[in-house]
Amino acid sequence: MIRDSQDVIVKTLSRLLVPFMVIYALYVIMHGHHSPGGGFQGGVILAAGFVLLVVSHGLEQTRKRLSAKAAGVLSSIGVFIYAGIGALCLLLGGNYLDYGKLSKLLPVVPAEARSLGILGVEIGVALAVMAVMFTIFLVIFTVGEFPEDDRSEK
Amino acid sequence: MIDFFLILSVGMCVLVLFCLYRGTFGPGVLNRAAGISAIGTKTLIILLLMGVIYDRIDMFIDISMAYALLNFIGTVVLAKYIETTGEA
Repeated sequence: MIRDSQDVIVKTLSRLLVPFMVIYALYVIMHGHHSPGGGFQGGVILAAGFVLLVVSHGLEQTRKRLSAKAAGVLSSIGVFIYAGIGALCLLLGGNYLDYGKLSKLLPVVPAEARSLGILGVEIGVALAVMAVMFTIFLVIFTVGEFPEDDRSEK
Repeated sequence: MIDFFLILSVGMCVLVLFCLYRGTFGPGVLNRAAGISAIGTKTLIILLLMGVIYDRIDMFIDISMAYALLNFIGTVVLAKYIETTGEA
């Protein structure tokens, strides 16, 4: 089990580091089509921030910010964004994930609509990857004794 | 100038071998953890030198920052595991 440690150095360092980590993850997601990175890599860095929070501040503190149930919902929302944008292009008369057709909805030219479409897909991928990575880490790190969100249900 | 950075990278690769020795045979878990962490830091520098050699340092900076973050988190998680199980 993960106990709440009293280590001042690790706590202070991670409290300083996690916001920058989230900013960097957002940068990786947003610049995925100009530089290395993208939805998956940004999602992994976001999840790494939560992992650092679990290790330094304990499970209880982290669950206030992202519960296991919320992680499940977020992963579904990420997949929904991905598939929804693809299906939207399908409805607008193109192929699946044919972002150029999104220019019928957005007030931009098709080339710009392609950039915005891939950005939306990458945000969805990042949400799904973050939630799934966080859930996998929790299940492994608590060695199967996965604490329920609401103990009164038992 | 490229030759200089190439020789520097080869030198860093040789240094990685020393850290690998410490990570493999090092007495105790803590020495091994320190060796692995040092390998991660050296890999970071080698990545940046590769970026200078290929003249795409703006791309390699992104990769190396992600690598540094994950290396740090890996070391912290390993230390937490050692603290929890009481090995070392």
